[in-house]
Amino acid sequence: MTNRQQQTPGIDFAVLTLKDALDLAVLIEEEARDRYEELAAQLVLHRTPGAAAFFAKMVRIEELHRKQLLEERAKAFGEQPVAVRREMIFDVEAPDYDEVRSDMTTREALETALRSEEKAHRFFVSVLSHVQNPEVRKLFEELRDEEVEHQDLVKKELAKLPDDDRFARVDVGDGPAPQ
Amino acid sequence: MNAPVFQAKDYKSELKPIWCPGCGDFGVLQGLYRALSSIGRPPHEVAFISGIGCSSRIPGYTTAYGFNTVHGRSLPIAQGVKLANPELLVVVAGGDGDGFSIGGGHVPHAVRRNMDLTYLVMDNQVYGLTKGQLSPTSPRGLETVTSPFGSLEEPINPLLYMLAYGAGFVAQATPADMPGMTALIEEAIRYPGFAFVNIQSPCVTFGEDDQQLKAHKAKQKSLASLGHDPSNQLAALDLARAYGTELYTGVFYRNPSPPPTYESLVKLRQTEQAKKARPRNQILDAYLQK
Amino acid sequence: MLDDLILGMAGAGGDGVVSAGESLLSAASSEGYHALMTKSFGSQIRGGESSCRVRLSTKKVLNPGGALDVMVALNWDDFFKFGAELPLSVDTVLIYEEKAGPPPETLKARGVVPTEVVPVAIAELTKKSAGTDKAKTSVVLGLLSGWFGIPSEAIGRGLKKKFGSKGEGLLEANEKALASGIEYARAHPLRTPHVISKPKGPPGSKMLCDGNDMCAAGALFAGVKFFGGYPITPSTEVMQTLTREIWKYGGTVLQCEDEISGIGATVGASFAGRKSMTATSGPGMDLKTEILGLATIAELPLVILNVQRGGPSTGLPTKPEQGDLYQAAFSGHGDVLRPVLAPTDVEDTFKTTVDAFNIAEQYQTPVIILSDQEIAQRKEAVDLIDTSRMEIIERRAPTEAELAEKPYARFALTESGISPISHPGMRGGTYLAAGIEHNEKGDPTSGGTMHAKMNEKRFRKLEPLKQRTDLFELSGNPKAPLALLAWGSTAGVAREAFQLATAQGHDVKLLVPYLLYPIAEQVYAGFFESVKHGLLVELSHQGQLYRMLRMFIDVPKGLKSFCRSGANPFQPAELVARLVELKGLPS
Repeated sequence: MTNRQQQTPGIDFAVLTLKDALDLAVLIEEEARDRYEELAAQLVLHRTPGAAAFFAKMVRIEELHRKQLLEERAKAFGEQPVAVRREMIFDVEAPDYDEVRSDMTTREALETALRSEEKAHRFFVSVLSHVQNPEVRKLFEELRDEEVEHQDLVKKELAKLPDDDRFARVDVGDGPAPQ
Repeated sequence: MNAPVFQAKDYKSELKPIWCPGCGDFGVLQGLYRALSSIGRPPHEVAFISGIGCSSRIPGYTTAYGFNTVHGRSLPIAQGVKLANPELLVVVAGGDGDGFSIGGGHVPHAVRRNMDLTYLVMDNQVYGLTKGQLSPTSPRGLETVTSPFGSLEEPINPLLYMLAYGAGFVAQATPADMPGMTALIEEAIRYPGFAFVNIQSPCVTFGEDDQQLKAHKAKQKSLASLGHDPSNQLAALDLARAYGTELYTGVFYRNPSPPPTYESLVKLRQTEQAKKARPRNQILDAYLQK
Repeated sequence: MLDDLILGMAGAGGDGVVSAGESLLSAASSEGYHALMTKSFGSQIRGGESSCRVRLSTKKVLNPGGALDVMVALNWDDFFKFGAELPLSVDTVLIYEEKAGPPPETLKARGVVPTEVVPVAIAELTKKSAGTDKAKTSVVLGLLSGWFGIPSEAIGRGLKKKFGSKGEGLLEANEKALASGIEYARAHPLRTPHVISKPKGPPGSKMLCDGNDMCAAGALFAGVKFFGGYPITPSTEVMQTLTREIWKYGGTVLQCEDEISGIGATVGASFAGRKSMTATSGPGMDLKTEILGLATIAELPLVILNVQRGGPSTGLPTKPEQGDLYQAAFSGHGDVLRPVLAPTDVEDTFKTTVDAFNIAEQYQTPVIILSDQEIAQRKEAVDLIDTSRMEIIERRAPTEAELAEKPYARFALTESGISPISHPGMRGGTYLAAGIEHNEKGDPTSGGTMHAKMNEKRFRKLEPLKQRTDLFELSGNPKAPLALLAWGSTAGVAREAFQLATAQGHDVKLLVPYLLYPIAEQVYAGFFESVKHGLLVELSHQGQLYRMLRMFIDVPKGLKSFCRSGANPFQPAELVARLVELKGLPS
């Protein structure tokens, strides 16, 4: 099964219109935003503040992207109804649930984000081979390239991290508590 | 395409799951929201019934009616709910210990009564809530705090059990394949009768490394890709024997002609008997000795 | 002429003495007599010994009574297997099958030898009149009709009902046997005539039923919509009756795979908004305990019938005992207040069941009905119960306006402690019911403060129950220094003892609680104010209510527990004797 089928069941990229493509892009950002929000909350609840703070930052970034795309969509298509459903999108740019761990380091959190941007990049590369509408193609190429920019940003952040993350808290903290 | 009346987020409650980050149940929950949204029943017409265990916390994370009951008893309690109000969409959720160990005695009876219930078992082969003891689906030889030298027992095979008991819908899924799992949950809920989905939902804290979602991604084989015909019960039984070695996902068996549900027969009986009802103040007259 | 007549019969299961007792009961009740029948069997499912006692009266029958006025023994072996159930006195007319030979020495060893012992060649009479020995009990019925004045027409009608549809000629054979019995009795009058007076009520005015029937009928009257259960002696008949009847009223019975699922399904149905009930006996109660706790913390209305039998463990499955009171009140972990009600006879099992449903629904709590094998399974002919003033209470659900006004808090800490309860399907009322402690909204919590508040709420809401004086029966002079207390089936014996003692001129009063738990401190305190001496009579080894009272209140020093293990029924006369003894003691 290809990524495309697995991540966006029910969407036929060969006939995708620009409106639907924009809506899809908005929802991909929305899914990522919500996922980062969920993961940040999980990590707050599990006393992993560094990673949680980074994911909270990702929430803001994804929201920014979503808004930009939303504006673009509004400009081009106004109030026309949305045909793409959020339920059609599975983990395109959103990190998988099993990316996170209690007591994960900030570095690991950044690496998670990096993998997610790479995943999104692979998605756009994969779907572009099916897209026929030139406007959609242009949009997806832009989005694909943005994923590369995002990766670079994360990589820069990673480089800035102090190297005090070598020891994992999971190795020094209390074990799990019975419920 | 029309926007659904209820979106996945409409089924999500404000309560934050307390599962460990990385737990398979997060994906199951997300898949469940989406499946419910596709089905489109309003949350107040849905009832989630669970027992005790990490996965049994699911009802609280939905905006539907929930009943987080006692260990092992979700199936009988769910049957009472369904019979009391057959219009409800009733989903039973729990873990392998809840369903196949302490509650194991209820399973065949829930299956043979064939009420329109969906039973989702989040199978992680370990007791997570009590910190990593053997579960009924733990593989032989597994070392845990209650089997420091390795388990001496064969695990239960939930798929074979369900098929042998005669369940009309038996499937297996993993949250490593979100769209596949979501579609299976939806199909199970839509099946008009007792439907079972064994969801391999790894325990990130006490589970084995080769049981984590990353391993699932590499390991899973869809039954469809093997050319399995889900109406073939014998082929299903044969494939189900591979539980514990292969990770098959998809529908093992789906009864092509589902028999009437228990509650539909109840309705018939009620209708046929209703004409014999006495007014409340004459109920005792039945005992008058003429 | 007698107002009261107690008959006993014993034989092999194949003789059909219990069936004959039922015919007698049915005939007497259709004529308008008050009547009561208890039966007792050996442990074989078929082919063991069996016996029955039938008490007929022109007045309300309070209990199965003591020594028999009439005993029919078809053979001695079977008769002697029933010691406590079939006590004789010197005044008993003992009728026996001549073929069995004269009464053996064993009879003397039992301490009493009736003065009138009448051999009848029952088998021979049957063979001669009916041409078969398969109609022996009809000869016996004829004898009883002829000697004791039980209307033969009613017995005849009963035979028609019973044998009309069976093998050809069987009805005729039995009719002939009946006639020959009557004729024999006429030709051989007893030395002392024992003829019962005509009944006061008109024919056709009596219900014939047992306690389990009345529990099922009470449940239907109260509007039960779901019953989940598992067969267990001696409560199974409740499930059997409901599974014939409940469908008519839009309900369902689910025979579950075990006791736990029985109460589980019931709790589920209650959560889904329907009046629900389960029934069981001691061993089943043991298994249901965990889910009782769930119903308490999730505040779900639920009625649980426990027909007590002898315990612990399998104990005495077919005999009554009052040994499950501690269990009803205290079983399960955690701080729990769970109402317990006890009917005292067949008739009031109906109202007690209605009360149990009302309390369960009003206070959103499980309620236990403690019946026992005797009242559950004894058949009685009683007056038709007047239900016109019985109220039916429904659980308080939130109104649409309430749900629209503010977010719904299922466990809102209200002044009364009762919070409106929604159910699945109700828009705006979704919540999480759970065994885990919760806040007002229903969300799980492990905080001590909220836990304390919720415990307090769950106890507070049941406080008003203790003021329910209608759940207590008080007879006699309220200032009397002598007191008798009893609950459950033992109350029937105590009522007769109270009448006897009063007739003998003792200044005595009687208290029968239907509400056993919570302990209504004020009701007892008021009752005990004048009491110098008293007896609390219970059929259990420990005397559980006596000890429970002492746990919650100060009882008078002169109040004594009179208790013994189950299957040893009390007799009215011995209670009076004990009371008189007490009077002589310093208080």
